[in-house]
Amino acid sequence: MSEHLLTEDQRDALQEIANVGMGMAGARLAALLGEFIELSIPSITPVAVQDLPGMLGRLVGNQEFVTVVRQAFTCDVRGEALVLLDDDSIPELWELMGYDEMSGVLDAAAEHEILIDLSNLITGACLSCMFEQLGRSLTFSPPTLMGRRTSLSSLLRPETMAWDVSLLVEVKFSIENHTFCAHLVMFTVEDSLRTLKLALDDLLECT
Amino acid sequence: MTGRSSNGMSDLIVDHMGLGAFVVDRDLNLTLWNRFMQNRSGRKPDAVLGQNLFDCFPELPRNWLSKKFESVFLLKNSAFTSWQHRPYLFRFLHDRPITGGIDFMRQDCTFLPLLVDGEVVAVCVMLFDVTQVAMISYEREAALSALSESSRRDGLTAVFNRHYLEVCLSEAFTAWVRTNDDFCLLMIDLDHFKQINDEFGHLVGDAVLRIAATRIGELLPAGSVFGRYGGEEFAAVLPSTYLADAFAIAEQICAAVTHEPVQCGDSLVNVSVSIGVAQTTDSIKQYEMLIKQADGALYLAKSRGRNRAVCSPLG
Repeated sequence: MSEHLLTEDQRDALQEIANVGMGMAGARLAALLGEFIELSIPSITPVAVQDLPGMLGRLVGNQEFVTVVRQAFTCDVRGEALVLLDDDSIPELWELMGYDEMSGVLDAAAEHEILIDLSNLITGACLSCMFEQLGRSLTFSPPTLMGRRTSLSSLLRPETMAWDVSLLVEVKFSIENHTFCAHLVMFTVEDSLRTLKLALDDLLECT
Repeated sequence: MTGRSSNGMSDLIVDHMGLGAFVVDRDLNLTLWNRFMQNRSGRKPDAVLGQNLFDCFPELPRNWLSKKFESVFLLKNSAFTSWQHRPYLFRFLHDRPITGGIDFMRQDCTFLPLLVDGEVVAVCVMLFDVTQVAMISYEREAALSALSESSRRDGLTAVFNRHYLEVCLSEAFTAWVRTNDDFCLLMIDLDHFKQINDEFGHLVGDAVLRIAATRIGELLPAGSVFGRYGGEEFAAVLPSTYLADAFAIAEQICAAVTHEPVQCGDSLVNVSVSIGVAQTTDSIKQYEMLIKQADGALYLAKSRGRNRAVCSPLG
């Protein structure tokens, strides 16, 4: 496990680019949505595979059911991003994103689309802004809905995962004067972690 | 962009690849239109390049699509659309005009920001034909819904089975606790069914069950849930009904079932039913108790000579 752990310097560097990245992302999202966006200070944690469901559960206050959208991101560092969303706020988001003026009916497909679109905005903005500072431009897979109001344990089964330890960057997203909140969790594993450590070292040398 | 020296080759590939690719600038004017788009739309590059996307294709969902482009220009980040939300952007024909059974090509799109010096100067849209995937998905949905329907049915009589009956009864009971909207349960049993089987054989017995189910079903009010409870016993849940009305329906059922004998091959079988009727009332605390009440009334109907309906007392 120790080889995957960041040194103190690497950790500080990652925290710094995460902080700056979220700041940039918040500004871009605010410009798009026309609302003030609050992004928490990102937390960076190494997590062992068997601890993952418990860790994500604590993020969402141990709610029994969650709604999760996933997306893969790729450069020389690869990983997956999960967005854990608050399903009850869909009607609010529908207005916020201006969908009410476009299609009119909030049916199951429209709800699905809002969840996917919003997750893509959050993931794309936050991760791109973070990795831009490492001189990398990410490509993203199309987002997919893993489950709506489903138990975390049925979505994430550690016994099926082919890695031992992962680096997790977590940030909470909320919109001023709205009840909606979402958690973005990005994780990278194994090989990509080594690459990320090298990229952070390069950054440290330049400064 | 990788490999500037091979740009000529890249152009050829973009033009000929098996998916749609087009590019719009900041004013949503088209600056690239590959062969896939050309062939599917019937518009040559000369006819569309330099022109606004929405002027060329007024049928596109303008508000929604503009928002997509806006998000890419502002966030410098990819956006996606899926056929599951919007079946298609362009009204393109698909490759299964005969076997397809769906109107237009199903499309997934990726909106890619094209950056120069950190600014988005244009957006490239890649359009994937996912008609085949969509068709498999539609077939799967249809199969699942057929499966779910058949899991509710009794194999012999095609009325609902006991499991589904109990689910509906339990739901109706829960709703009643909330709304106090009274309903009734009929327990219906074929008289002397064992004798019919013994005398005429099981094939005739099966036919009697099917015909009795049909005769009973025809007399139940709309919204009733009717199923085979087991063996020769049927049950029906009558929503928003009082005991007196349910009793009247039960008597009609007795009369209709016995009205004419069942013809099966050369056999003519006289058939009748006994019915127990029960209504929701404050003393009933679970749906199982309602079944017990109706069963009790059914027992009385049997002991009083069969071919009749008996009500369980209210209270």
